[in-house]
Amino acid sequence: MTGPEPIREEDLVAYHSGALDTAARDALSARIAADPAARATLAEWDRQDAALAALYGPVAEEPLPAAHRALLAAATTPPRRPTAQLLAAALALLAIGSTAGWFAAGARAPGVHAFTIADDALRAHVTYVAEVVHPVEVAADQADHLVQWLSKRLGHAIKAPDFAAEGFRLMGGRLLPGDKSPAALFMYEDDTGRRLTLYALPEGGAENSAFQFMSYGETQGFYWHDAGLSYAVIGDLDRDRLRTIALAAYDQLI
Amino acid sequence: MSLLDEIEAAIPSLRRYAHALMRDRDAADDLVQDSLERALSRRHLWRGDGPVRAWMFRILLNLHRDGLRQAPRRHLVAVESLPKEPAGPERQEAHMDLREVQAAIGRLPDDQRRALLLVALEGMSLAEAATLLDIPEGTLVSRLGRARAALREMTGRTAPQKKEGRA
Repeated sequence: MTGPEPIREEDLVAYHSGALDTAARDALSARIAADPAARATLAEWDRQDAALAALYGPVAEEPLPAAHRALLAAATTPPRRPTAQLLAAALALLAIGSTAGWFAAGARAPGVHAFTIADDALRAHVTYVAEVVHPVEVAADQADHLVQWLSKRLGHAIKAPDFAAEGFRLMGGRLLPGDKSPAALFMYEDDTGRRLTLYALPEGGAENSAFQFMSYGETQGFYWHDAGLSYAVIGDLDRDRLRTIALAAYDQLI
Repeated sequence: MSLLDEIEAAIPSLRRYAHALMRDRDAADDLVQDSLERALSRRHLWRGDGPVRAWMFRILLNLHRDGLRQAPRRHLVAVESLPKEPAGPERQEAHMDLREVQAAIGRLPDDQRRALLLVALEGMSLAEAATLLDIPEGTLVSRLGRARAALREMTGRTAPQKKEGRA
């Protein structure tokens, strides 16, 4: 009944957010002028914005809470230099580097145990990335000790791979209970505080497998089995970035 | 302006956003406090590649996501217990019932709420908000559309089905 095609919602969103250039804006303005439903929608969105500003705008005018001010005051003393970056850079990089064709080779359906590993790794990730005060048991400034200790407890030589090229620094790690053997968890963080974890569990009987992808809401991961150990790399990253990181781990852990 | 000053200058908008996101003063203050702590503890890693405010929002969004995973239902329950006031579609007054808007914001899915508040409350551009949320701009646009439509419906201001005016 409206004659011409209705204005698409995404165009209205772009219009309302000021994302259109002048020409596109003018063209759309003319169509909006002739479309009462679009005008009503835009007016309603204005009222939504006004309601939000009325509800929460005053918060930005309040004086800062004492706890925030205390943090700022404490920060005026210079921070100590972290050793994490240096250590991460110094970690041996055993990149064998032949990942081409690897996805195709030996790909098989994940068994039940693979889901268990994925689940355990995910629960460890969720539990510890949210931790502000004690995210790791042994921090990256004792990386050598951490790696030796975890290798000994797992009964497998294990390393903390270096993800510096992907912008993630090692924070440290911890030992976790596992089914037949303890598991190791390494945690990494980028400079916005986004965290990812690498989980490793000895699994003697399992066969080598291709990367399996798992997704749990915004949390995603890749897991695989290689040379007696099952691994999972988990984070809130898009799938391609996570895959790059998992491949880096695979190359370095081989 | 030193980095520390810029961090401090970003706090009011961070607080505004956090309060809208959590709708609980204590939880919002905690979220900002944790974000501030994270930002301050790694300010020596700040490479200066972009606005400090965006960096701090990113930290807050990361913490918010991590925190939600730990206590996924906490705030949802509180909001669901608010009385619902089903409103007729004839309500078109100029001002919206703020309490109703507040409750409706709380019923939005987390990803929609995070996106809507960045744009509608913080006045960020689509490009800025999409970058912060790590999603393509097209995804953000449809998320915003869904959020605004849901908000409109929940506040009883659905677009009239039978048009009273001439189209």
